[in-house]
Amino acid sequence: MIMDILDFLSHGFVQKALIAGSFIAVLCSTLGVFLVLRRLSLIGDGLAHVTFGSIAVGLFFKSSPVYVAVPIVMLSSLGILKLVEKARLYGDAAIGIASSLGIAAGVLLASVAGGFNVDLFSYLFGNILSISIEEVIASIVLSIILITVIFLFYQELLSVTFDEESAKASGVNTKKINSILVLLTALTVVLAMKMVGIMLVSALLIIPSVTALQMARSFKSTMFIAAITGVLSVLLGICISFAADLPTGATIVLLNILFFIAAFIYKTLR
Amino acid sequence: MIKDILKSRNLLSYLLVLALFLTMISMTGCGKKDHPTTGQKKLNIVTTLFPLYDFTRNIVGDNAQVTLLLPPGMEPHSFEPKPGDMLRINNADLFIYTGKFMEPWVEGILKGLDSKKLVIVDTSRGITLNEEKEDEKDQDHAHGHGKTDPHIWLDLSNAQKIVDNILEGVIQKDVANRDYYSKNAETYKVNLNGMDAKYRETFSTCKRRIFIHGGHFAFNYLAKRYNLQYIAAYHGSPDAEPTPKRLIELKNMLKQYDIKYIYYEELILPRVSEVISRETGATMLKLHGAHNVSKEDMDKGITFLSLMEENLKNLKVGLECQ
Amino acid sequence: MSVEVVSADGLAFQYNAVDVLTDISFDLSEGGYIGLVGPNGSGKTTLIKLLLGFYKPTNGIVKLFGFDPADFQDWHKIGYLPQKIVSFNPNFPATVKEIVALGLVSRKKLPKRPGRADKLAVGHAMELMDIMDIKNELIGELSGGQQQRALIAKAIVSEPELLILDEPTTAVDPETREKFFSLLKELNGQKRVTIIIITHDTGTIGKYASKLLYLDKKIIFYGSFEAFCVSSEMSDYFGEYSQHLICHRHDTANN
Repeated sequence: MIMDILDFLSHGFVQKALIAGSFIAVLCSTLGVFLVLRRLSLIGDGLAHVTFGSIAVGLFFKSSPVYVAVPIVMLSSLGILKLVEKARLYGDAAIGIASSLGIAAGVLLASVAGGFNVDLFSYLFGNILSISIEEVIASIVLSIILITVIFLFYQELLSVTFDEESAKASGVNTKKINSILVLLTALTVVLAMKMVGIMLVSALLIIPSVTALQMARSFKSTMFIAAITGVLSVLLGICISFAADLPTGATIVLLNILFFIAAFIYKTLR
Repeated sequence: MIKDILKSRNLLSYLLVLALFLTMISMTGCGKKDHPTTGQKKLNIVTTLFPLYDFTRNIVGDNAQVTLLLPPGMEPHSFEPKPGDMLRINNADLFIYTGKFMEPWVEGILKGLDSKKLVIVDTSRGITLNEEKEDEKDQDHAHGHGKTDPHIWLDLSNAQKIVDNILEGVIQKDVANRDYYSKNAETYKVNLNGMDAKYRETFSTCKRRIFIHGGHFAFNYLAKRYNLQYIAAYHGSPDAEPTPKRLIELKNMLKQYDIKYIYYEELILPRVSEVISRETGATMLKLHGAHNVSKEDMDKGITFLSLMEENLKNLKVGLECQ
Repeated sequence: MSVEVVSADGLAFQYNAVDVLTDISFDLSEGGYIGLVGPNGSGKTTLIKLLLGFYKPTNGIVKLFGFDPADFQDWHKIGYLPQKIVSFNPNFPATVKEIVALGLVSRKKLPKRPGRADKLAVGHAMELMDIMDIKNELIGELSGGQQQRALIAKAIVSEPELLILDEPTTAVDPETREKFFSLLKELNGQKRVTIIIITHDTGTIGKYASKLLYLDKKIIFYGSFEAFCVSSEMSDYFGEYSQHLICHRHDTANN
């Protein structure tokens, strides 16, 4: 048994999946707490669709799709904020607009170009088992950036998330804080989507924080529980998918749901 | 009160502009394809998959307009027809598809088609279908799913039967030119046969008889024909994922059989093959499943036979043949 | 000449071409205590939002400690309690202590880590509002009154010079309300904290505030409560019976 486990861990793709997967989980679940409380839960899904359209733009102009996608998605995230502010929409509607636009743009561009050399839809499906060393490094770097930002702006983030108006009256630059939040989300989505695919990104942004909300007794603990739940689901998910010979991404998502159910039951029984 | 009138006037003019705008857009969209050709009307043939498209082209020459339903670059296993596709099929003289396992959606649309002139060709007629199962020889358990393997065209003898089925359909629509079509079909079948012979000859002297593919299970018909063993990373469509165990299995197999090559497929990002290549040092080689081709290839005028030629070259390297 | 804490001159605000506030002019000096009253939709909350710089005036000027609110920097001088009804998500996963600490975010520079002095200030504010026993409870799990006390603690924790409270005593039990007004009296009397309090309860506020600002899209009355009660203009405006009701209700409450 031990030999099996050691053998399993000796494979490069397993190690990369465990490491990068954990950092992505930390990124997504921590950001997710703020997003869920701001009713922006589906922004991950929405921005993933925008990424899809941006990749089409990249392919259309025959340049590196990921490098083109990053600025477009970041701008779109700011656009979503603007829509909420100026068009007087709630977050979900603004996200819906961006999401539809992203998919439509992608399909339209693919049609106008007469097709690409790679199936555009295959960009929606990452694979946690095929992460490269560069992607591992990128996920670590982005995590460090996020943790630094949260460390520096924790009180302001909490203030804005709790009540935007009071935050303004405390002199918090709410525009800046909101922008930082969605820009970080945009970066995370583009990176994570390439690495693990849209299914896992959406799930990791929403489910660990919802699980944490069932159990947490303070905001700080909410963030910790979300991060731990996310990381645990990835680590266990990879191992269980190996042992039971199941697709890894789906296993991780299901584990997240199981954790949520467990937390929910715990909360109800208390 | 005046404000109310102004407001409603604004609304009206806004709607008017919007309506004009939409009409303009839809007019530029239509009218692109439906111009009837002057003179004798060409046959209008719609095909689903690239090999069918290529075979049909070769049979009909200039006598027909052959179109490929799949846009270039799109992967076909998850293709769902849009209303425009339905229209295109309905307006055609001939609709040629691979078979009910490659295009399960065809069955569904048959009821919706009301054309009296449309002839539908199921090119898999008369071809023995296999299950999606690997050779059980050296494995603990076969990765069978009880599903039928739809990739019939990659067996070059099946390809010839497909040509026959297409020919039949074409003649049905245009009896007048049957001799022309039959001659073309014969010529093409000779080419297919020639390629088949080349394959057989090449594979008679190989160091290895197993090839491993980091893509979906597509090449079993080909493998079986030449008595080769074929291992694929996963079944179903190119977008599926292999499980971690499977990946480790593949790596071990490469080591076990001392194989230095890993194959990747067309049109998708070769993620799985890249991982295996990275961790075993194996060289990546392309194996084109000929389902559909990229825009670039389409523009270059690629053919089924040229794809199979490329495949043969890569297989020769990977199997280490003389 | 000392700077007025709040001053407005010809202040007006329109929303969707509808007048919400017109020609608002008044001054508030240090140590002042205004009850801002008026019917629903009279623009009371809007006035506050203009004051805090959430909206830009359509016309006129508003100044906060002598500054245009957009240029104002010393937000720790201001304690703000928004109307509870538009406030936070009741399932918010923060403890009372974490919420009260948010009142200090204005005071610090990066990286804004809470220091010892901050922790003491938070404890002090919680003691004042009698919520030490629930400091580790989640704000969403408290009663309306407890939540309000927590939010008030948040408003006063930075020891503000100007306290703006929007309907602070709705959904609050009478005992809490009494304690709350005593606290305000102390802050105003001993610490010279300037207070603006929006309330429906004209009579009660008349008991405490030094001035009454009656608003109905424009200033109907600005002066002391006593003056309000004897004003013949107010008699005409409200009708004698209503004026009597407003002015004498607090008397009966006292008896």
